Amino acid sequence: MDSSVSSAFLLSLPVLVVGAAIAVALRSNRASAAVSLVTQAVAAVLVLGGVWPCLRGGKALQLVWPWPPPIGTITFRVDALGAFFLAWSLPMTFLGTVYAIGYLRPYFARGRHGGPHFALLNLIAVSFVLIYSVQNALVFLLGWEIAAVAAWLLVIWDYRSQKIRFAGFNYLVSTHVGLFVLVAAFMLLHSKTSSMDFHAFGVFLERPSPTRGSLFLLLGIAFALKSAFFPFHTWLPRAHAAAPAHVSALMSGVIHKAGLFGFLRFTLLMGRPEEWMGWTVLAFGTLSALFGVLYTSTQRDLKRLLGYSSTENVGIAAMGLGLGYLGWSWEVPSLVAIGFLGGMLHIFNHAIFKCLSFYAAGAVYRATHTVDMERLGGLAKRLPLSAGAFLVGGLAGSALPPFNGLVSEFIIYSGLLSGSADSPEGNLTLVGAAAVLALVGAISALSIARAFGLVFLGNPRDPSVEVGEEAPPSMLLPIFCHAALALWFGLAPAFGIELVRPVLEQFPIGSQAGQVLAPVDSLAWASRCLAGSLLLVGLLRWWQGRAARRSVTWGCGYTAVSPRMQYTGSSFSEQMARIFDAFTPALRRERIATEIFPQSPGQLATHHADAVELRIFEVLGRAEALVTRASQRIPAHPRFAFAAGLLTLLLIGVLALGVRP
Amino acid sequence: MIGSWLANIASLLLVPFLLAGVILRVKSLWSGRKGPPLLQPAYDLLRLLRKSPVYSVTTTPVFRIAPWVFLTTALGSAAIVPLVGSDPLVSFSFDFVWFAYVWTLGRVAMVLAALDTGSAFEGMGSARELTFATLLEPVLFLVGAALCLRSGTHSLYPALVFDAGGAVLLRICAVLALFIMLQVETARMPVDDPSTHLELTMVHEVMVLDHSGPDLAAIGFGSMLKLFAGTALIATLCNPWAGQGTLLAAAVQLALSLLVAVSLGTVEALVARLKLRLVPEYISVALGLGGVALLLGAWGAAAGP
Repeated sequence: MDSSVSSAFLLSLPVLVVGAAIAVALRSNRASAAVSLVTQAVAAVLVLGGVWPCLRGGKALQLVWPWPPPIGTITFRVDALGAFFLAWSLPMTFLGTVYAIGYLRPYFARGRHGGPHFALLNLIAVSFVLIYSVQNALVFLLGWEIAAVAAWLLVIWDYRSQKIRFAGFNYLVSTHVGLFVLVAAFMLLHSKTSSMDFHAFGVFLERPSPTRGSLFLLLGIAFALKSAFFPFHTWLPRAHAAAPAHVSALMSGVIHKAGLFGFLRFTLLMGRPEEWMGWTVLAFGTLSALFGVLYTSTQRDLKRLLGYSSTENVGIAAMGLGLGYLGWSWEVPSLVAIGFLGGMLHIFNHAIFKCLSFYAAGAVYRATHTVDMERLGGLAKRLPLSAGAFLVGGLAGSALPPFNGLVSEFIIYSGLLSGSADSPEGNLTLVGAAAVLALVGAISALSIARAFGLVFLGNPRDPSVEVGEEAPPSMLLPIFCHAALALWFGLAPAFGIELVRPVLEQFPIGSQAGQVLAPVDSLAWASRCLAGSLLLVGLLRWWQGRAARRSVTWGCGYTAVSPRMQYTGSSFSEQMARIFDAFTPALRRERIATEIFPQSPGQLATHHADAVELRIFEVLGRAEALVTRASQRIPAHPRFAFAAGLLTLLLIGVLALGVRP
Repeated sequence: MIGSWLANIASLLLVPFLLAGVILRVKSLWSGRKGPPLLQPAYDLLRLLRKSPVYSVTTTPVFRIAPWVFLTTALGSAAIVPLVGSDPLVSFSFDFVWFAYVWTLGRVAMVLAALDTGSAFEGMGSARELTFATLLEPVLFLVGAALCLRSGTHSLYPALVFDAGGAVLLRICAVLALFIMLQVETARMPVDDPSTHLELTMVHEVMVLDHSGPDLAAIGFGSMLKLFAGTALIATLCNPWAGQGTLLAAAVQLALSLLVAVSLGTVEALVARLKLRLVPEYISVALGLGGVALLLGAWGAAAGP
């Protein structure tokens, strides 16, 4: 590859940084937005132009940049994997920035300066270019940190609210815990290779060694924290609920995909994995999908719900990746192809529909100033376009035909159910995972039907909520783009698969990968037929029904019906939550009248907490109390001190002996 | 090929009414009544089609479109089922995944229409419907995967007709699991009482309280199609001549489908409905049976046919 193309691609970095600087410096919000948009568009064109050959299956771009110590040389190398992530990350960030203009307008009208916000969005794009192309661990960490800090600052846009500052801080701490683990992994690798170059890491990782497994786990945990896998997800719903809608969308759909990118990058460096690694990834993916979706079913905050749905979807993607791992370790090329294709396609599909859902939720927030489902209702009449967008995003997210979510889940199913494991037990486990995925899909359909039905259908639940106007064009444009993509990649999945194919070819997929993908073609035809008939009957009934007679909803004989009597979100999910009550603990606060003629009105509030968060604090609290009590007794009872000392010595001895052989 | 297409389409237009009529007749006979004509469900639909619909002022176009989405999805799922015991209309690898997700789409449409009315009763019914369906969802995957592992194929039809008449234990488990699935999905006793008049105890019926005229007809026909698709799955599993494409196979298939309808009606006439709290446990029986079927399928495949 000639160097002019590769340097043009790197030119996007200074363009974005200069754009960020100008955006901060400018007084007018309109001008900052324009600068940010123009520089992002230029950067996106530069990057897409640069990586285009890689997307078409060409050779990787490589550029070596001499740099003074301690970094040494910096290698930029965009292979098919990096190109795949770059191809959609930058355009989606651009769309998010377009959305920000409309979403933040009420703030701007009150005199808020938006320059830093747009600059941070530029920096997010910078971090993508760095993370997805650089081959040097230090620079990788730099990109990683830029993304983390920029995302934190973006989350706390409404920093005057204490709740939002807390959510932001929670995110900052969690992401840095992940960073520590990542640094530990890189330090370990550096100590073994005395290099910071990924290529050197790869040479070490390919050889079987005792550190390989621990490195896999360390890297896995770091990347799992970034992508909010269960049980490392607790920061995510808070941050997503607190952030402005476009920031939630970009974090969930695009920024946190860097975790999965890192995982895939090191998978490629590591080469053929061991079997237990595949099972670990599959198990974590399945657990994340299941717990993520269980929490969606009980949320009353629309954006929290979508946040948990991110955990679910990265879990589903990881199920695909785990399948690929297993196929690789068993040397079954068809499984490798299906697994990695399904996983990566789901990453891409999730970016499309999750941004769409968050954008629609943002339109709801902008119009009503709340995303509390229990207070909303009947918004479809006031915000018809946002309602349609949320429905499309939700249906795609529940993997319902004819949208894009089904394609990637179908591919993952086709791997799990293919029966190509090397033992009956392996097949049984894979089918079990498929059954869990079926449960996940069904619960996700429940959550989406509940969310859409409560927020957009029926009657308004709370008269104190004033409904404003439908979203402005700058918000509707990204919404339409994402909705069109969700439909397009559902009806024409071949395009999505073509996008992933060059990456797949870096894995040992053999030559018959084409024929294992044949079912997707049939699925696409089935989806097209279904979409065509749905469009037909939908238009027909919509047209015919306009003039039909109108009456009130049948009240089952009761005539004094009020909107407050509608089914609520918590009553909707009550039965579901009761079945899974071990995982969705309900906190009740009640004051129920006991006397025969109550003088004051009673009240009842229920809230479903995150079991992981609740239990972690419970366990930590209990352990702390235990240690405090024990240490208080030591001075009073010398034998406690003696026993504690003896125990410590024993532990050290056991460790020393245990390490020796 | 064309013959089997025509047979499938003809059966789609006729047998659903017959099955629903048989269930009604069986229930009547058990309770000592003569019962309506066998094709009464068809007459009911024709009557509804002639009426004009009334819509609640609360509703949006979602409410008007949903019944037809439901009907379309019912057709879309029935297309991959071997309705007359031979080639279905469409068959492709992992089509049972499609089957499950298309059913879910139809269910979501109905639930949205129910929530669109703003009625508390309809909200209640839709919450129940979705909760039960959620628990039920893995059953089809377990049974489908068991049959696929056993037969070494990847789509529903060849897996159903593989080794017809053999693998008796696997077939019994699969049939029982599917029977429970059918009871839940088509709102039959002991899960749901289709003829109750108390809204508080309804599941499926309460969701369609506000639909009228052709919309109600679409829902009714969609439900009957789902019933037919489910009975056809069970009948194909039991049919020793399934997959041969002969007249005998089709006749046995029809007889077995009617037998399933008779059993549904009998259970409905003789059994009281379960408490709502017990329904998830009843569904877990189906899950257990699906799990056993899966074990038998994987083990049978490993041991060889």
